[in-house]
Amino acid sequence: MPALTQKIRNIVSRTPMKRGRRIRKIPLEGIKRGETILRTKGITKKFPGVVANNHIDFEIKAGEIHAVLGENGAGKTTLMNILFGILRPDKGEIYVRGRRVEFKSPLDAIDLGIGMVHQHRKLIPAHTALENIVLGHPKTEKILDMRRAGGEVKELCRKYGFKIDLNTRVWQLPAGEQQLVEILKALYRGAKLLILDEPTSVLTPLETERFLKSLRTMAKGELAIIPFITHKLPEVLSVSDRVTILRRGKVVKHLETRKATMKALAKHMVGREVLFRLKKPKVKKGKEVLRVENLSALSDKGILALKGVSFSIREGEIFGIAGISGNGQHELAEALAGLRKTEGGKVVFQGRDITRASTLERLKKGIGYIPPERVGVGTVGEFSLVDNIAMNLYFDKEFSKRGLLDYKRIRKHTEKAISEFDVMAPNIDTKAVHLSGGNLQKLILARAIPRTPRLLIANLPTHGLDVGATEFVRNRLMACKKEGMGILLISEDLDEVLQMSDKIAPIYEGKFVDIVPAEKASKETMGAMMAGAPLERRTKRRGKQLLGGHK
Amino acid sequence: MWPFIARCLEVATILLFAGIGELLDQRSGVLNVGIEGLMLFGAASGFITAFHTGSLLIGFIIGTAVGGIFGFLHGLFSITLKVNQIVSAMGIWIFAIGFTTFWADRYSGSTVPLSPRMGNHLSPLFFLAIALVFIVWFILSKTHLGLKIRSVGEDPSVAEATGINVVRTRYPCVVVGGLLGGLAGAFMSLTYLRLWGHLPTDGMGWIALALVLFSMWKPWILLAGALIFGVVWQFGISPELFVPGLGLPLGVCRMFPFIATIVVLIVISTPKFRRKWGLAKPAALGLPYIKE
Amino acid sequence: MRPKLGLRGLKLEKVLVLTGRDAVKISVASIITAFILFSIFLLLEGANPIEAYGHIFSYAFDPRLGLPTTIHRSTILLFATLAFILPLKAGLWNIGMEGQLYLGTVGAFAVAYAFGNLPSGILIPLMLITAGLFGAIYGAFAGFLKGKLGVNEIVITLMLNLIGYWLLYTLVVGGPWMGIAESQSRPLPASAWAPMIWKVPFTVFLAPAIAVMLYFLFKRSTIGFQVKALGSSQPAAEHAGINPLKISLFVMVVGGALMGLSAYHTWAGDPAFHLIPRPEGYRGIGELTYWGIMVGLICILNPLAAIPAAIFVGSLKEGGTVLVRRLGLTYGLDYVFMGILFLTFVALQFFYRYRIMRVKKKG
Repeated sequence: MPALTQKIRNIVSRTPMKRGRRIRKIPLEGIKRGETILRTKGITKKFPGVVANNHIDFEIKAGEIHAVLGENGAGKTTLMNILFGILRPDKGEIYVRGRRVEFKSPLDAIDLGIGMVHQHRKLIPAHTALENIVLGHPKTEKILDMRRAGGEVKELCRKYGFKIDLNTRVWQLPAGEQQLVEILKALYRGAKLLILDEPTSVLTPLETERFLKSLRTMAKGELAIIPFITHKLPEVLSVSDRVTILRRGKVVKHLETRKATMKALAKHMVGREVLFRLKKPKVKKGKEVLRVENLSALSDKGILALKGVSFSIREGEIFGIAGISGNGQHELAEALAGLRKTEGGKVVFQGRDITRASTLERLKKGIGYIPPERVGVGTVGEFSLVDNIAMNLYFDKEFSKRGLLDYKRIRKHTEKAISEFDVMAPNIDTKAVHLSGGNLQKLILARAIPRTPRLLIANLPTHGLDVGATEFVRNRLMACKKEGMGILLISEDLDEVLQMSDKIAPIYEGKFVDIVPAEKASKETMGAMMAGAPLERRTKRRGKQLLGGHK
Repeated sequence: MWPFIARCLEVATILLFAGIGELLDQRSGVLNVGIEGLMLFGAASGFITAFHTGSLLIGFIIGTAVGGIFGFLHGLFSITLKVNQIVSAMGIWIFAIGFTTFWADRYSGSTVPLSPRMGNHLSPLFFLAIALVFIVWFILSKTHLGLKIRSVGEDPSVAEATGINVVRTRYPCVVVGGLLGGLAGAFMSLTYLRLWGHLPTDGMGWIALALVLFSMWKPWILLAGALIFGVVWQFGISPELFVPGLGLPLGVCRMFPFIATIVVLIVISTPKFRRKWGLAKPAALGLPYIKE
Repeated sequence: MRPKLGLRGLKLEKVLVLTGRDAVKISVASIITAFILFSIFLLLEGANPIEAYGHIFSYAFDPRLGLPTTIHRSTILLFATLAFILPLKAGLWNIGMEGQLYLGTVGAFAVAYAFGNLPSGILIPLMLITAGLFGAIYGAFAGFLKGKLGVNEIVITLMLNLIGYWLLYTLVVGGPWMGIAESQSRPLPASAWAPMIWKVPFTVFLAPAIAVMLYFLFKRSTIGFQVKALGSSQPAAEHAGINPLKISLFVMVVGGALMGLSAYHTWAGDPAFHLIPRPEGYRGIGELTYWGIMVGLICILNPLAAIPAAIFVGSLKEGGTVLVRRLGLTYGLDYVFMGILFLTFVALQFFYRYRIMRVKKKG
């Protein structure tokens, strides 16, 4: 009977433990600068087939910024999750202010004064910033006293120099301010140690600067900050006191930042010269495949996101759009694919005006679209590989006769496409839901490319893929270029855009800042334009106004 | 004239009870399209109880409680077993159709004692309904509990990360939705109709659902909608009280509330309203919460 | 997700994708469970379950007793199930079978009354086409609103049901189609009656034929493929050039048309009717269509499985009436069974997501 009651209780409330108003077990209050806040010894975590963390010793002191560097797969995420209580280590200990602790869940970590700011916002967009900050806080009264809470949070803002309107809804805030809200959320809960997951990855250079300034201010006191990063080494290193480098689960180097050089750090991160030098084939450019004139479109929220862009792409040419997500490139891709209504402008494909054409018409005419979301949008999980491939064949007279699908033909086509694109699956009847991310992307390519489109729109094609799959996709796109396809490449990875494109257009707030041939583009100039670089810098370099974009 | 207005307010009361319960429920992210089923159970159990005991109060209590049981059942299916919420609610509704027919139709034509009325015409429960609107509004917008409920309805995983127990927040909302649905049904059979006929709810539960959607989950708009539809419904039943000499056949008049509901739904789906509506919608509505 | 159930090392594991075989197992399990629960219910009501089932099925399938009605009702149910399955494959919940049936009735009877003197060979096809058309338009209305504006089709179709009910009411009760009795309609002219093949109306063969056609529609046709795609993922379907509005309209039009056809079958196919009965009467048939939802779900939206399932449920409904007469039980027990079946099915839907596995003991 008691077992049954417990079973019912377990079924009704599925949390691992009760949450109530907890008192801090080890007060991090009163900690002084220089004191060790957190120390780990021998943290080890294994997953099937890989040792993600291998005897990691780490330490961070109050008032310090200690950055952790590592490539994708080096074990950063695992370590981060262990420090925040999301994962439990197989071996090793964690000491907070000298006392051994074990985290059963993130709430334990939060109670001890550890806060985490995730790469992908863990905020509720519909609520205001203040509501997000006070949500779930033990101190929040039953009947909300927003004025009191607002006062306290404003005090925090003042202390650290944050400028943010607490009463705006989070979805209206730009990425940089959303991040501040998350930081405030952690600080409001009394965090003395902040773990930051790729904090600058979605920020514009201007926002990054502001953010770094805030970091410096925060660390002036007793706050300790651990940024975990892969990219943007120079920026974060400019504020950190110490650096720890992870590679393949182990700590390979641990030094004070002022003693480090960029080159040495990169070498330690990577271990060898990983030269991802793409061979950019010399391809003769053919005639114009796509011409876009003054195209505008609204975002999902009804605001004008694309504000009149114009450009053209020729056969055999890769046109790269570089920009931080949210500047209109997604709306551009969808408008070109026929998935989004335009608010003005013209799209001409192979000489014909297709501005009003439906997605189906565009598919038939030879436009291929690779969407950023692989699961659920790019592929249908419940469908087999055959049916997924058929999504681009069902309207083709060759595969659909008199209203019936010619499955024999479709299956043959699928077999060929799957092997050509190296999609790993037991057989073509496997459902797509069983495929890994890389294989899904290959499936999407296998669906679109064999149809030999004249224009291929690749929207974030290597997003979230591991090194092997990324390489495959990029090589594939290069092969398409050689075959004379015009390719529109949209990517958040500036290196990728620079390496692959013939022409590059940085996009900022819905407009092309400029269109630059690849030979004349550098990371600094593109990066600056992506962030809406101040006029003088551009004027100095170019000597004329470049807003609005043109051929 | 006054009796007509009183009847309108009674219909509004029914719509309010059912609607505000569902509004709270949906704000926490659980979709219950089977309000009609809850109302049927409330109406049947309340009626049978009152018939046999002669006490309206007990009838109301039982009717409400039975509604709560089925609200809990829907919660069990939706929250714990993570079954498709529409299937679950449909199941309860169709079960209600069958079971209440089997159970209560033998009482067809019987009546229950007259319920107490204020000033000879209006049931005091009307004021309870208005009070409930205020209470729910207050809870949702001014209390920490309300913030938690809303968060659970928007993004349960984020809410969970801040220490809120999603399951323990959703169950009470679903049960309250059930209780109020049962109350709405009991009120219908005990006060508004006072006699039993086959499937007395006649679509009102569905109108309540449409009202919740129309209200964009704001209690005061729901109140306005319920009052308006109270009039529209009653107009369909006795148009001659409102517009004497209209001369339309009964069947046509009875259609009005349903046509009005369709119109209302179309209006809020036009692009002009759709954006506002989309922003107001609890983002996690209807989606089962699966803890990773 | 691994909560321990506290039962000798069992744990729950998430199901990635449901195989057809597993889905069938779940449906069968729910039927068996429902039978068990219903048997308990019968026992509580003082009846012997085995005896009761014996009575039910012997009556329902006895050609001299219940068989004609069983076949008649099962056919209506089959139409309703198909009319529910098709839209749901595209992701649309068509709850409007009742209203589409009523509108089909209006269409068929309007033609019959107006052109009653035409020979059967012309009248009946005309009735069928008009009935189908009326039902199709009713369905199209909801499909258009959903496809174009995204209006919730559940509420819309339900409202349409109620409007359809009152429409018939207006026409029949004291209205232009009123017959001798004030609350039912004039009878259909004899030329409108459905001709019998082997003592059943020809429409009885129409329904299974359509079920088979639907099966092949989903398996091999281009438009069936698009329906399935839309039902699996609307964004993915749109990216593949599928037009949600077109497909939504298609499924709702066909679904509505099916119910329209069933209207002809319902009234012109059963000699007991041959007219529109009192509101309680036609409402009863309308309610039958709601079981189509349950049958459709239990059949996992497979049109072929719907055929035996509809016969089974129809026989239960018809045979259930005998329990009242022969065993003195309360009226409406068939409803109770349906309800139990639906609830067990919903509960067992849990297994669409999770599997119970034995925990492997670590050595």
